Amino acid sequence: MKKNCATVGMGETHMRARAHVMATPIPTVRFWIITMMLVLFGLSTLKLR
Amino acid sequence: MLLAFSQWFAQDVRAFNVFQYITLRAVLATLTALAISLLAGPLMIRKLTAYKIGQAVRDDGPKSHLTKAGTPTMGGALLLLSMLITTLLWGDLSNRFVWIVLVVTFGFGAIGWVDDYRKVVHRDSKGLASRWKFFWTALIALVAAVYLAFAVSAPSTSRLLELFMAWVGSGFSMDLPSKADLIVPFFKNIAYPLGVFGFITLSFFVILGTSHAVNMTDGLDGLAIMPAVMVAGGLGVFAMVTGRIDYSRYLLFPYIPGAAELTVFCGALIGAGLGFLWFNAYPAEVFMGDVGALALGAALGTVAVIVRQEIVLFIMGGVFVAETLSVMIQVLYFKWSGGKRIFRMAPLHHHFELSGWKESQVVVRFWIITMMLVLFGLTTLKLR
Repeated sequence: MKKNCATVGMGETHMRARAHVMATPIPTVRFWIITMMLVLFGLSTLKLR
Repeated sequence: MLLAFSQWFAQDVRAFNVFQYITLRAVLATLTALAISLLAGPLMIRKLTAYKIGQAVRDDGPKSHLTKAGTPTMGGALLLLSMLITTLLWGDLSNRFVWIVLVVTFGFGAIGWVDDYRKVVHRDSKGLASRWKFFWTALIALVAAVYLAFAVSAPSTSRLLELFMAWVGSGFSMDLPSKADLIVPFFKNIAYPLGVFGFITLSFFVILGTSHAVNMTDGLDGLAIMPAVMVAGGLGVFAMVTGRIDYSRYLLFPYIPGAAELTVFCGALIGAGLGFLWFNAYPAEVFMGDVGALALGAALGTVAVIVRQEIVLFIMGGVFVAETLSVMIQVLYFKWSGGKRIFRMAPLHHHFELSGWKESQVVVRFWIITMMLVLFGLTTLKLR
C-alpha cells in the first residue's frame, strides 16, 4: 500500500490515516473538520491582537 | 460564566475587555464545544457500547442499512452536554434569549431521551407513545412561543411582564410592535403584522416543525448534523445583525436587544456538531438518536423565531423541508392512489439510495445543497 501511495503522490499524513484501517470517508470528513477549525482559529486573529 | 470573570478581571487588566466581543466569544465557544465533544466522545461511545445501547434498524428500510444494527445510539446526549457546558461558559447568563433557547433545546432533548431509552434499553419498539411525544413537544413549543411573543417585543426582561399584563388588560386585543412582524425575505417594506395569536401560532409550528423535520432527516451517517451546523451558522449571522443596533439599522432589520448573544449559542452548536460529526461520519461509530435530532431542530426553530427569520429558516433548511415533504407526499399519495408510490422509499434520502447513489454520495450532496441554500438565505441580508 505504501508503494502504491507513493506512486500516486499521496501526502504522508493522509497515508498514515488510511493505514489506520479507517474507511475512506472518515479521514476526509475529519480533515475537513480540522480545516474548518483552523480557519476559525485564523479568523479569531482578526480580533485577538 | 467566563464573561462575568473577564468583566471582573478587566477592571485591572484591560486585555480582558476583548471577551466582551460577541464574535470572539462565538468563535471560542465553537472551539470549546469541539474540544469537549472530541474529548468526551470516545468515553461516551464506550459507555453506550458497554450498556448495549444499540440502534435497532427497521427491516423495511434499505437492505444496506441492516449492517448499522447495534451501532451505539443516543449520542445526541454528547451534543447537548457539549452545547450546555460551552454556552454556560461563554454566554451571557443574564440574557433571556440564551435561557429560553437552552430550555427548549433540553426540553426536546429530554423527550427524545425518554423515547430512545424506552426503545433501546427497555427494548420497547414503540418507545414513547406518539401521542405523548407530540403532547410534550407541543407543550414546550407552545410555552416557548407564548414567552417569545412578549420577549421579542419587550426591550428588556423587566418590561416583558408589563407588556404581557398590558395585553391581558386590553382584552387580548393589543397588537405587538412591528419588530414582531413576519419579515418577508428580499423585501424591505413588506412585513406582516401577526398579532399575538398569529405570532404564537407561527412560532409554535416553526419550533415543532423544525424539530420533527430534523428528526426525519436523521437517517444516514452525518446527514442531519452537518446541515444543522450550516443552518446554525447562517442563523448566527442573522442573530448578530438583529442584535446590534448599528447593523440592524443599516440593513433595515428589526432591532431585537439581546438577540446577538444567540451567536454564541450558535457557535456552541457548530462546535458540538462538528465534534459529533467526527464520530458520526460514515461508517458511524455513534448515532444521534431522537435525543439529538429533536433538540437540534427545536434549537434552530427557536433561534429563527427570535431573530425573526422564519421564512429564511425554511429556505436555509430546505433539505429538512424536502425530507419532511417527501414523507407527507408519499403517505398521502399512497392512501389516495390505493397503494402506488411516488418515491422508491421515503424519506427522500432512501429514494436516492435506492436509485443507485451510495450513502456517502447522498450525504455529501445534501451537504452541498444545504451550503448553497444557506448562502442563498444569507443573500437576503442585503438583497432587499
